[in-house]
Amino acid sequence: MAQKDIPPEAARPDAGTSWMMPAITAVAAVCLIGALISSSEPVRTVCVAVGAACTAAALAEALRRGRALTARHSQIAALQHALSRQETEAVRLSQVVLTEAIERLRKGQLPEEVLTALGGRGGQGNRWGNDTALSPRFRAALQSVLALVIDTVDNEENLRHSAQRAFVNIARRVQAIVHQQAQEMREMEDRHGRDPHVFGDLLRLDHGTALIGRLADSISVLGGARPGRQWSRAVTLYSVLRGAMSRIIDYQRVELHSVSEVAVVGPIVEPLIHTLAELLDNATRYSPPHTRVHLTAAEVQSGIAVEIEDGGLSMSEEARRRAERMLAQAQSGIDLNDLGETPRLGLAVVGRLAQAYGFQVSLRSSAYGGVRAVVIVPQHLITTTAAATGTAHGIGSSSGPRAVPPAPREHPVDRASAGVAVPRPAPASVPRPTPAEGGPATERTATGLPQRRRKDRADFYDAPPAAEPQSAHDPGPGMWLEAFHSGLSGGSGQDAQDARDARAVQDTGDTSGSATKGA
Amino acid sequence: MSEPPSSWEDKTPERLYVITGGRSGPSTAVQLDLVTLVVAKVPARPEMQPEHAAILRMCQSPLSVAEIAAYAGLPVSAVTVLVGDLMTARRVHVRPPVPAAQLPDLALIEAVINGLQKL
Repeated sequence: MAQKDIPPEAARPDAGTSWMMPAITAVAAVCLIGALISSSEPVRTVCVAVGAACTAAALAEALRRGRALTARHSQIAALQHALSRQETEAVRLSQVVLTEAIERLRKGQLPEEVLTALGGRGGQGNRWGNDTALSPRFRAALQSVLALVIDTVDNEENLRHSAQRAFVNIARRVQAIVHQQAQEMREMEDRHGRDPHVFGDLLRLDHGTALIGRLADSISVLGGARPGRQWSRAVTLYSVLRGAMSRIIDYQRVELHSVSEVAVVGPIVEPLIHTLAELLDNATRYSPPHTRVHLTAAEVQSGIAVEIEDGGLSMSEEARRRAERMLAQAQSGIDLNDLGETPRLGLAVVGRLAQAYGFQVSLRSSAYGGVRAVVIVPQHLITTTAAATGTAHGIGSSSGPRAVPPAPREHPVDRASAGVAVPRPAPASVPRPTPAEGGPATERTATGLPQRRRKDRADFYDAPPAAEPQSAHDPGPGMWLEAFHSGLSGGSGQDAQDARDARAVQDTGDTSGSATKGA
Repeated sequence: MSEPPSSWEDKTPERLYVITGGRSGPSTAVQLDLVTLVVAKVPARPEMQPEHAAILRMCQSPLSVAEIAAYAGLPVSAVTVLVGDLMTARRVHVRPPVPAAQLPDLALIEAVINGLQKL
């Protein structure tokens, strides 16, 4: 289109007059030679005159061509300038203007605003309006490209937003049902808590409901919303970690180690639970079923570091980079299309939550051979347990018939070096478990369920020789009641002991009768 | 119960199956009843599971399973699981309830009541 501005005849040399110059020159030369060799005066005069005329004509033509050449040169320069301006503007449109337009639209500016600000049609800052190097058609073309792109992006964004809103809306409904269900389950667990069989079934249902809830939370997070319910008060970190455990399938494989006695501020509770639940789910899912997953929380300089270590396959460097990239991508926003047909929501959700709430998540190889995920919760999201809910861990520390001052929890980090102004009671004189004692041993209960075995239990196992005689001869606390009962049943203390043992054996075969009696 | 369950629900994100480790009954051979008396052998230690520590603190004097459940705001089955753990770790003494066979005959009690009323 720009070529139309160039006159067509200027495009090729003037064919009509190009033969004249050689002809005139030839004629002039012939006349000159004729004048030199001719002897007669009139012929010489005519030859000189014709030659002079031809020379004059040649000079005039040369002058004319020189002027035409100059004009052509300036024309070419103007065209080159216009071309380079057009090229510059085209590149600028693709690299700067469109990028900025999409950026602004993503930030939520209205398409009209963006169009005006970037010099689109009729705008005040019309970018191309007063540039004479650009033809009107070229300017119009640039503007229409910009307008078209802005319209398209705006439509896409609207579509994406409405899809996300629909996601979140559905997720919210599921969450509401799940929350209601969970509350009712809890009531049922209290109501039918005396029958172990019903209670066991209720626990399984409760677990299933929690899993559905986590899925709904994930969808909600991917839709750009909060994961779920809000907590008005701070919750202790221990409860948060167990809350995260309660939302995964294989929670029994998670071994909860020492936890700093701090609390997490209310608005962060649910995101942190969800982040940890997703990481725990990954850890249990991608490690052999018989291995344990270790969950610890310790204070670090920048806050609290929650570590999740599994004994699965170690991540290759390439897999680790892929996972880190996934986290990073999620932090810059999730494209739902990228999730694919078999979406691995976990890391996407974790990345999104980490970005929104300021957690730092890193994945490394574990000393156990598997993966070690570390979530660092910044210091300003941590508070003291005093600010947390009164009934820590579900049981009021002061509940019970007598108010006994709660024993302080062992603290994994040296308090002086932690540099955190969290008032805590002095650490109890408990021998700290040293790492040199080897990996945490697990044992099985009589029903085959894994049971955590504490390292300090050795103290109790060593104790029995001393403890047993004491319980046999010295009536410990509460033993007077036993004596009272045995007195009622009409036997001496030793007889009662025998009867009790016999009864205990008998009771094992008669569980249901006793249970119903109790109820 | 001294503590309504709804308040418990609103205050903690952890579910009961995590507290009991997914078990619905004690793993010990001893039958735990509502009136089974539990008394702590050792003091509560900070590194214990909080529920275990709370039960040990409560049971410094003998307490029945039903009472523990009421104070802790936990269902009886959950308490029996926790007490069962403590028994396995030999941290509590458990006094089984008076066996039914050793209770006086119901007819005898009625006769005594009748006799008392006639006085």
